[in-house]
Amino acid sequence: MRELRIAAVGDVHLDESLRGSYRKRLHDIEERADVLLLAGDLTRHGTLEEGQVVADEFHDLPIPVVAVLGNHDHHSDHPAEIAAMLRDAGIAVLHDDAIVLDIHGVRLGVVGGKGFGGGYAGKCASDFGEPEIKAFVGHTKRIADRWRVALKELDADRRIVLSHYSPVKDTLAGEPLEIYPFLGSYLLAEAVDAEGADLIVHGHAHAGTEKGVTPGGIRVRNVALPVLGHAYGIYCL
Amino acid sequence: MEAPQYVAARVQRALAEDERTNELGILVDIRGGQLFLRGRVAGAEHRALIANVAGEAAPGLTVRNEITVLDVRDPCEEEKL
Repeated sequence: MRELRIAAVGDVHLDESLRGSYRKRLHDIEERADVLLLAGDLTRHGTLEEGQVVADEFHDLPIPVVAVLGNHDHHSDHPAEIAAMLRDAGIAVLHDDAIVLDIHGVRLGVVGGKGFGGGYAGKCASDFGEPEIKAFVGHTKRIADRWRVALKELDADRRIVLSHYSPVKDTLAGEPLEIYPFLGSYLLAEAVDAEGADLIVHGHAHAGTEKGVTPGGIRVRNVALPVLGHAYGIYCL
Repeated sequence: MEAPQYVAARVQRALAEDERTNELGILVDIRGGQLFLRGRVAGAEHRALIANVAGEAAPGLTVRNEITVLDVRDPCEEEKL
């Protein structure tokens, strides 16, 4: 079975001042990659105007584009409208569900969504106490449960999980320890380790590092643009 | 005199919550009457706005804008997993 080349980037934070800046980086992407994954925080403030800039930058590429939204894309309370704009531009947007792409006869399954925080095993918030804490942790638990189901039902040759928040600490190295609980949760990794995947891609941690691995041995890549320093990373599976 | 830690926290909160910036990833440090801003952002306009918002939130301090504008390079290598 042929190798797939996965291009991925997150945290591009586009606004009107950056219009056109990304598009020019993508002109030969079909020669370098088979699919492009966008790991959230595509906008700065989550406005509809910025959503349109993102749609215009990534529309109609010669390879499939799959995206998830990030926390910034939620800031103006229009995540559904931004997702619809991206879908209208031909970009698949995952919301704790899956898509299977046929790439030259290889079925690539991508499961994912925004993800959320809570912290990492042994040093995390628990579903206990005040309703506000329960709501915070419960949000992550529900997301992890949906990913687990989506992975279990996925029928594909290669499996990738696309997230905004990080499932592991490894790729946060460089960030202040105090904010780890707001950068991701081990519940995400636990769900993926239970069902298996070939790669997890995330963003969100601008001061983090690119490479990590889950406790179960699945490779993790932080593709936040400030971490990569390149228009996108390319991973071959 | 207000403790520098509280001023830094106020600046960090302003950078996150001010709609001109909505920036979460900038390190704010106060040393000797100066306010240092460090991190990486995508554009020069955003870099300047961050300094403006920080300065407004901490009047009387000299803002040292040490933020770098990200120079996005073309992808040049692929990793085989």
